[in-house]
Amino acid sequence: MLKTPGHYDFMPWRRRPRITWPNGARIAFWVAPNIEHYEYDPPPNARRMPWPRPVPDVAGYSWRDYGNRAGFWRMADVMARHGVRGSVSLNVAVCDHYPEIVERCCELGWELFSHGTYNTRYFYGMTEEQQRAVIRENRETILRASGQSMDGWLTPAISNDETTQHILAEEGILYTLDLLHDDQPTPIRTRGGQRLVSIPYSLEVNDVPLFVMRNTPPDRYAAICKAQFDLLYEEGADSGTVMCLPIHPYLIGQPHRIAALEEVLRHVTGHDKVWLATGREIARHYIDHHLAAHDAWIAEGTP
Amino acid sequence: MIGLPEDYFVYPHRRRGMDHARYPYRILPRTSPVQWPGGARIALWVAVHAGHFPMDMPLKPFTAPGGMERPYPSFWDFTQRDYGSRIGIYRLMQAMGSRGVKGTALISAMLAREYPVLMDDIAKAGWEPACAGLDMAHLHHGGVAEADERAWVALATSLLRGRFGDAVQGWHSPAHSESHRTPDIVAGAGYAWTSGWLNDDMPYAFATEAGTLTAMPLPQDLADQRMLHQQNMATEDFVNAVLAAHAALDAEAKATGSGRILTVSVTPWLMGQPHRIRAFGAMLDAILARGAVWSATGSEIMQAWRAQPG
Repeated sequence: MLKTPGHYDFMPWRRRPRITWPNGARIAFWVAPNIEHYEYDPPPNARRMPWPRPVPDVAGYSWRDYGNRAGFWRMADVMARHGVRGSVSLNVAVCDHYPEIVERCCELGWELFSHGTYNTRYFYGMTEEQQRAVIRENRETILRASGQSMDGWLTPAISNDETTQHILAEEGILYTLDLLHDDQPTPIRTRGGQRLVSIPYSLEVNDVPLFVMRNTPPDRYAAICKAQFDLLYEEGADSGTVMCLPIHPYLIGQPHRIAALEEVLRHVTGHDKVWLATGREIARHYIDHHLAAHDAWIAEGTP
Repeated sequence: MIGLPEDYFVYPHRRRGMDHARYPYRILPRTSPVQWPGGARIALWVAVHAGHFPMDMPLKPFTAPGGMERPYPSFWDFTQRDYGSRIGIYRLMQAMGSRGVKGTALISAMLAREYPVLMDDIAKAGWEPACAGLDMAHLHHGGVAEADERAWVALATSLLRGRFGDAVQGWHSPAHSESHRTPDIVAGAGYAWTSGWLNDDMPYAFATEAGTLTAMPLPQDLADQRMLHQQNMATEDFVNAVLAAHAALDAEAKATGSGRILTVSVTPWLMGQPHRIRAFGAMLDAILARGAVWSATGSEIMQAWRAQPG
């Protein structure tokens, strides 16, 4: 077993080469809706049972199903009203089950990246070839459903195995979200040296930990997200920061929570030095303008 | 490295729509508009969980929310919940009755045997009686033998129909837990609606081997049992969340011209406590003050929904 992921170098926050965003923005703000399907009767995985209750876990299944029937549509309307695009963390089987959802995302100009096939099919225990086959199939599905290239990756249920990041790089993925080590993009080291960067995702302002695990009421959720933004906006005056707002339609799209999303987006879009970006745009900008400087600084020992 | 078995990469239900045959995929904002009686925007459905938690209830394969938390014999847990049937539910009846708000009691059928007087009082309050299984010790789930499950449904149904007759039209699977066959058995027992599934804000048709049930919206996420008990939130957080849901649904009803349902899922041993009951009353006042509210039972909402053209 590994003691550390081994995918990144130590890059202290002081004297890190400065990141600048387009149009003098201090912060790149991006929203990652996780659009998922949890299977009614999924196969078992030795490291994680898909459902806490015996199958069918009606409470768990139908709660997630709410997201696709009701929550997504409410959430998408709020985002559209504030001019905020989504970068969809997509269980690609959604393209087959609910093509209407994918059509709506494309109509709104959202990016699609892969969050695996189903959220109940984990990467735990897959061979490298099995992982590669899933990644390739996911790329084909996204291309077929949207015409988009699959540039980003979040392993389903963040169930990555030891080799997953290497394989992502070898398969030409641009950015990974499986690591939570930074507030800026960073280079990812892989065995073959292929280019891969990490873009900040978040478990801190992610609605699953907040609403489900940390028992956060909606108004408190909005306050936490706004505080996260305010500090990163302030620090972004020195070097551009990234804030990701990961959301799940079955949670944030509930009637009692939707106003909290509205409040967060109103707050964010009320600031002028914000780059409302997608994951792909952030990755490309970082690769084109800052990756070399970061690599050089690391090579010098981060003086 | 062996990896995962080949069938881990086979997706037999990867196709348009659902991965089961209970209902087709439906998009809430694309459903036909629904008109409630009197032109109401919001049908207010107060669902009261009149549950019975036997002290020897099983804690496997999972503990029902609200299940015993201390070692047997937990007088601590049992009596706190039993308080609801003696005191709390009467406070709810008073708070609702004085405001003309109707209710549906989701009853652990064993209470008809344990506390027949409570059944009389539920009837007098004008609440709809619905069956929430035998009690919280009899959860329907994938590990229950079919014969047992059929016997539980039959006994629960006879207990409640024996007291309330055909007024018992609704079935709520305790802890929102079901086996693959629960809806078939429940429909076969003559129920018209169920509220175990959490996937919509509006009713929809739910197919079974014994005919079609109407699935009624009863959230687990916005329920006092989850928020106040499991999640340890403050009373104000629950009340504010219900009012936020009402505001959002009311705005949707205004924007779309289609009625919505605000389901208030409350538990006598929680919301019926002295320190909470005034907040409950104030919450009802705030809901009614917004206007265009139709207070109804689950069956009345189901009937109005079924009567819609198209």
